[in-house]
Amino acid sequence: MKNKFFRKVEPYIWILPSIILMAVFILIPIIFVFRMSLSDVSKAGIIKGFSGLANFTKVLNSSAFKLVLKNTIVWTVSVVCLSTILGFILALILNNEFRGRKIARAIMVFPWATTLVIQASAWKFIIDTDYGTLNTLLLRLGIIEQSVNWTPTPEAYFMWEIACGIFVTIPFVTFCVLSGLQSIDSTYYEAATVDGANYWQKLFQITLPLVKSSLTVSTVLNIIYVFNSFPIIWTITKGDPANHTDTLVTYLYKLAFYNGKQGQAAAVSVIGFLILLVCSSVYMVYTLRKGDD
Amino acid sequence: MAKKPLTLKNAVLRTLLYLVVIIVCVVTLYPYFAMVCTALKSRAEIFSMNGTILPIHALWSNFIDIWSRAPMANYMLNSLLIAGGSTVIAMLCGIPAAYALARMKFKGQTAFLGFVIVSQMFAPVVLLIGIYKVMSILTLTDSIIGLIFINAAFNQAFTIWLLRGTFMGISPEMEQAATIDGCNRIQGMTKVLLPVAAPGIVTTLIFIFINAWNEYTVALCLISTSEREPLTVGINVFNGYNMIEWQYLFAASLFAIVPVVILFMCIEKNLVSGLASGGVKG
Repeated sequence: MKNKFFRKVEPYIWILPSIILMAVFILIPIIFVFRMSLSDVSKAGIIKGFSGLANFTKVLNSSAFKLVLKNTIVWTVSVVCLSTILGFILALILNNEFRGRKIARAIMVFPWATTLVIQASAWKFIIDTDYGTLNTLLLRLGIIEQSVNWTPTPEAYFMWEIACGIFVTIPFVTFCVLSGLQSIDSTYYEAATVDGANYWQKLFQITLPLVKSSLTVSTVLNIIYVFNSFPIIWTITKGDPANHTDTLVTYLYKLAFYNGKQGQAAAVSVIGFLILLVCSSVYMVYTLRKGDD
Repeated sequence: MAKKPLTLKNAVLRTLLYLVVIIVCVVTLYPYFAMVCTALKSRAEIFSMNGTILPIHALWSNFIDIWSRAPMANYMLNSLLIAGGSTVIAMLCGIPAAYALARMKFKGQTAFLGFVIVSQMFAPVVLLIGIYKVMSILTLTDSIIGLIFINAAFNQAFTIWLLRGTFMGISPEMEQAATIDGCNRIQGMTKVLLPVAAPGIVTTLIFIFINAWNEYTVALCLISTSEREPLTVGINVFNGYNMIEWQYLFAASLFAIVPVVILFMCIEKNLVSGLASGGVKG
């Protein structure tokens, strides 16, 4: 009898440490953020009482928020789309056999393994107008006559931040797709060649369907990472000037820790969750369905 | 792939392939090249009107100066403690959980797995306000221990994800045989399953270590004493508002980059197949 009871409880003992860890450091912060978004919060972070949706209306009515939301969408969509396309093409290239392939793969690891703050600092230095190495390089090569101001407008800065985001995201896509490509049985291609299929037919009718699952995993994870990415923008522009390069996460960081508006910052967090929830529910449905196969 | 006959078309395609690969490699390495060159320059050379690509005189002393200009030894030690501590805790909690998910059937299994997956959606940065509050209650703000637990928690999803896939890929027959020989579950796991799963475990371990080593946002927000900062935050003492000491910033950055790039190269192959397929299906 005791044995039977133990058998029933045993799995929960095994998962208990993990549950406690995630409950204390993820679940409780989530609850706090939701509670604060619906409360009147003092500058010191003390909850003074329920305030309904006041924080949300304040946030949604501010003109800065509209700009920030637009930036976030531009940032996420362009970084995820372009890095997925470029990463996919690169994976197709690296899937060929050629001399130095191992070295090329090792080099591709660099941006993925390097912390984002340092990547961003390096790019900030490279594109600097007065002493940046991009200008120096182009001047020395004789491509330009005098230093180019690469960042004349806030929009230009934002473009460079997007470029930096793409640069660091490509390797993840490439390696995910590459692992999918390498599991494809080469007999498929041989059969298709016998049937007279050309390169593009093979690409769209064999390769793409077979790497679809790798591509989905990398895309969905990237949507989450890029949406929540903080260090690149923080290092290069801190969201300045006047929110022109802010995304939701840098905006809420400033609201909470610079301006003492923790209630509104919490509301921005919640809005961010809701947007991501749409993406992650697609992810959930996809993964759990696959798990049942 | 069979060797193709050397036609003109193939020769052109080959050349094109090499060209693209070389361009990609050069662009990828360029920031690192710029960092190394700058780390070896003097301040005057970096800001001179007549910019140089390679340093005129390699100034190796920059790599020594940073240790006296900032508490670099502290930063290194802190990064090591944070990354090592998070890895240990994430594994201690993650291995049993992944084992239960792979080997047992229980009520709430799907719900637990669902929570693990959804938790990936919450990056620490969006929860910072909540995390800060929890840390104040636990009096763990401005503490390395606090950072260790947060990193461990936010890496749980990956740990469980990768390990569950690894465990499910190993047939349970050997453990069952061990049970008949009188081993209990824990012995069956530690003596039979874990040694077989070692490559997957090492991959997971290194991946968490790198993630925690590279973490920036939470450390930036929670740590207020300079001596307790990890490298990622600490090196920004050279990145002041008015004056950026690029040569020192990049010299210090290289100390933060090199160890993880080497580690990453070791696990890249295993990690990717684990991420893309392991967790999705065993």
